[in-house]
Amino acid sequence: MKLSRTTPAAALVAAALLLSACGEGEAAGPVADAPVKGGELTFAVDTEPVSFDVHVSQQDITGTILRNVFDSLVHQDGQGGFQPWLAESWEVADDLKTYTFKLRKDVKFTDGTAFDAEAVKANFDRIADPATKSQLAATLLGPYDGTEVVDPHTVKVSFKQSFAPFLQAVSTPYLGFYSPKTIKENGAKLGSGGAVDVGTGPFVFSAYTKGQNATFTRNPDYAWAPKGATNAGAPYLDKLNIRFLPEASVRVGSLTSGQVHVSFALPPADAKAVEGNSKLALDRRDAPGANYSIYLNAAKAPLNDEKVRKAIQRGIDIDTHVKTLYFGEYKRAWSPLSPATAPYAKALDGSWPYDQALSGKLLDEAGWTTRDSEGYRTKDGKRLTVDWPLLPASFIREKRDVLGQAFQADLKKLGVEVKRPQGDIGTYIATVYGGKADLADYSWARAEPDVLWLLFNGASKPAEGGQNATFIDDPELTEWTDKGRSTLDKATRDDVYTKIQQRAVELGLVIPVYTSAFTNGRSRTVGGLEYEANGWPVFQGAWVTKK
Amino acid sequence: MSPVVRILAGLGTRLLGAAAVMFGAATLAFAALALIPGDPVTIMLGPFTTASQEIRDQIVLDHGFDRPLHEQYLSYLGRLVQGDMGESYQLQRPVAGLISEQFGPTAELASAAVVLAVVIAVASAVATAGRGRASRRAAHAWELVAVSLPSYWLGIVLLTVFSFRLGLFPLVGASGPSALVLPAATLALPIAGVLAQVLREGLETALEQPFAVTARARGLSRTAVRLRHALRHAAAPLANLTGWLAGSLLGGAVLVEVVFGRAGLGALTLQAALNKDMPVLIGVVLLSALVFVVIAAAVDLLHLLVDPRLRPA
Amino acid sequence: MTTPTLPEARWKAWRPARPALLAAWTVIALIVLAAAFPGLFTGRDPLELEPAVAMRGPSPEHWFGTDQLGRDLFTRVVYGTRPSLLVGLGALTLALAAGALYGLAAALLGRFADVALMRLLDVLLALPQLLVALLALTVLGSGQVNLMIAIALSLLPAYARLVRAEALVVRRSGYLESAVLLGQHPLVQAFRHVLPNALGPLLVLGTVGFGMAVIAASGLSFLGFGAEPPSPEWGVMLSEGRDYLQTAWWLGVFPGAAITLTVVAVSVAGRSAQARFTRRTTL
Repeated sequence: MKLSRTTPAAALVAAALLLSACGEGEAAGPVADAPVKGGELTFAVDTEPVSFDVHVSQQDITGTILRNVFDSLVHQDGQGGFQPWLAESWEVADDLKTYTFKLRKDVKFTDGTAFDAEAVKANFDRIADPATKSQLAATLLGPYDGTEVVDPHTVKVSFKQSFAPFLQAVSTPYLGFYSPKTIKENGAKLGSGGAVDVGTGPFVFSAYTKGQNATFTRNPDYAWAPKGATNAGAPYLDKLNIRFLPEASVRVGSLTSGQVHVSFALPPADAKAVEGNSKLALDRRDAPGANYSIYLNAAKAPLNDEKVRKAIQRGIDIDTHVKTLYFGEYKRAWSPLSPATAPYAKALDGSWPYDQALSGKLLDEAGWTTRDSEGYRTKDGKRLTVDWPLLPASFIREKRDVLGQAFQADLKKLGVEVKRPQGDIGTYIATVYGGKADLADYSWARAEPDVLWLLFNGASKPAEGGQNATFIDDPELTEWTDKGRSTLDKATRDDVYTKIQQRAVELGLVIPVYTSAFTNGRSRTVGGLEYEANGWPVFQGAWVTKK
Repeated sequence: MSPVVRILAGLGTRLLGAAAVMFGAATLAFAALALIPGDPVTIMLGPFTTASQEIRDQIVLDHGFDRPLHEQYLSYLGRLVQGDMGESYQLQRPVAGLISEQFGPTAELASAAVVLAVVIAVASAVATAGRGRASRRAAHAWELVAVSLPSYWLGIVLLTVFSFRLGLFPLVGASGPSALVLPAATLALPIAGVLAQVLREGLETALEQPFAVTARARGLSRTAVRLRHALRHAAAPLANLTGWLAGSLLGGAVLVEVVFGRAGLGALTLQAALNKDMPVLIGVVLLSALVFVVIAAAVDLLHLLVDPRLRPA
Repeated sequence: MTTPTLPEARWKAWRPARPALLAAWTVIALIVLAAAFPGLFTGRDPLELEPAVAMRGPSPEHWFGTDQLGRDLFTRVVYGTRPSLLVGLGALTLALAAGALYGLAAALLGRFADVALMRLLDVLLALPQLLVALLALTVLGSGQVNLMIAIALSLLPAYARLVRAEALVVRRSGYLESAVLLGQHPLVQAFRHVLPNALGPLLVLGTVGFGMAVIAASGLSFLGFGAEPPSPEWGVMLSEGRDYLQTAWWLGVFPGAAITLTVVAVSVAGRSAQARFTRRTTL
């Protein structure tokens, strides 16, 4: 099978979002309606990257910020299709083991070095080198075998096995390109940010003050925006200033008082206030990849019993709690996969509603019929208890600990005791990844259904860097997730990925909870702000209307 | 012995003591590092990683985690003596560079806070010392509340009211003096409470002394006496507080920098503690021990020079 | 957090006005009651969810309003008294006990032990208290018991110094030598003669330490080293409430006020005890 760039340039979802935002402008203040050249935009983010080396970091925030500095070979559009970017075209071998990219010839790094096949090879080899200690990019490269420079503008990337998710992977900033010159001169210092991080992107990373901000200046030579971008050339902004503001209330306050233009990750509690403010707009996008879900350890008692798993799955009032806690900003989830990532199993919607009567019946059938003095169910004198370790507070996001308290209260009514021990991160990893806990909860943002492989394939063992917290190797789930990553045939992929979502829910291996959303607040003086497939803002086409 | 020799001898003893404290701090910090339970590599990588075994092995090799503990300790001490504090686990940058880079903003915040605290304390002490029950009660009340308020809470309230609601002190984007007002006030208030109390009591004692009465008799106004004469005497006990003050400033900076989103040593310390980034934490421990030791020596020396009675016999 | 240890001991005693003292003791009595019998103050369950009324402001029905899951905030503040005080009290007891033992050991186990122990103390004293606590928490990990230990460790040096100083005074007074001549074990001496003398100033310092421990605990909870949910604890409640500052002020204000009120009341009572104590000893 040969696949070349067949998808026509489609309008970005983000563009539509932008238009609607512009249309709502009120007389309250200046509204961005036509591009304005020059000026500075301040963008507040909640997390500060630990490392600014995209090849090393596993953090979302690193990709979010450095998307402005690094371009990719291909661009993933709003529909999940791929558009040319630094690669003009590409060919994929039938066995999915080699990918050949024809590169643009006019691209230059901001230090003047030409972007060519050697640069691609240098970057991919750097990622695969264990000395780089890559925490995410190396995983995205999968069974990487090597890169061959066919001619100065053609590269052939080979894999040891069939590897279908590569196009998506290569569209992320984690597989972005540093100037070979900076790799040679500053290889060990790329994580520290600032001028050493030289890419081909629309902005130049000019300065970084730890704990405070990172500043980016316009790359005047930029002329290689991805196909479909509204601004094909250099950015309108002279300067992009990114502020690190971990306190949610500080982010909201500085947005409403006009001290920042765009604020990332607004708490749902403040979304309504931002929407009601005539000077502000709220941009919301569902996060792609794996929803926030609870995974049930089916390898040990009591959750090795499907009836108990189903009882817990149906016994918590997800609808009410998610709506209450997140003020309707996050959608309640029905599948482990986000609706923002195709193919989403729509049939699952509404198929397993809250039903404590059913849960009670299932637990009775499973033999948990007697109750102890505290009202918890028992079987053979043993209390029905599930361990659900809580991450250390610094790792908890989106009030998931509070949501857990609500589930704990629901299950108590059902007669199930939920214990939530909280220790240090070492203990957490040893317990949860060692398979000693009953429940584990997380989300995994990656705009590619192959994320299901990470969650349910039998080979994705948590003790070995995997994430399958169900701790079982279900033959069908393993077979389908393997099949999905070894084909690019849409019909086959749609079929297996839909089946995987349904089977995981049916077996009670997972309790999907909510689809997290990127809720960004934006001053109405800001126009042209777009969002790429991961839900991250792209500032290349953004501008600020002067007051 | 001549006085100079005595002072030098005193200085020598001081230096030896200081070196002992520094060595102790270094050892304590290393002991803390060795005591952390669990595999250091797992802790460094965190929970949501797909790093392979190959990468984990590389980290072990790079940091020498596979070597015996006493060997690690000795090479750690050896590197310290050469001024090498190692490399941050998380940020993969030299600790010395990180700390010197973050020192500036914290020093700026701390000095602003000290100035503010002293101004508040002097104003409060001069206004209330020995002026009757009502003013003394009022002074007690505010001093007590100032030291009892959780400072981070105070910071958030100040921020909400003055920056977000009233828009008086822009915080974000600006880096000039206006951005410093609220954080410095938050850091200064509890310190001002303590200083005001010490100063007021010193002032009350001083005002009862003969020289104050004489000055009044010479026709100086009450406030002039307070400002010109009594305050100088009352300020003496403050010198003994400098060590405590330095500690409070660094401790307070952790919370204030987090609340106000400022860069600095406090924010760096917290990030290191949350990520178990021990080399950075060790660096901060050594730095604060050094600051304390230097301040203590300076205060002692000052006493020694000013007050001949304290010189060693 | 920025509250002092050493200067406190140096402060001259003052006696709070009678009404203030009365108010302070009333608050302390209420707090103790709430910690012991929270059920006396409220008929609700602090963990009971009522999603339909989530995030409502204070009203006759819910005095302090409700939180993000519709739990009654007043009930949570009342039930939060016990865990919040326990951290402070636990840290303080631990610090006092360990500090006393440490000080006694330094004073009574001979010159070498004294030098070694006091040097170690110098190291701890050279570090800001918060840094000592953070270092301990980095090693131990977060959680309520570890929080207690960490805070105790940061308070310990002041107490150890005090006990050592008292012990040296007693030792120099000569009646220890006579006790040794009479064949008493050093430990027996310590408990018979030194501790009773040091107890007074130690307890006074303790009232100050209690306030500091409560503030330190809430501050460290705020920074993310706190107690386990869903148990309502003031520091954790405050830290959860801070995200809702713009929309639901009551979530942060009431736990914050509870902390401040407790610390102020204990300090006022402590100062008056200190005043009485210094007067007695100077007489």
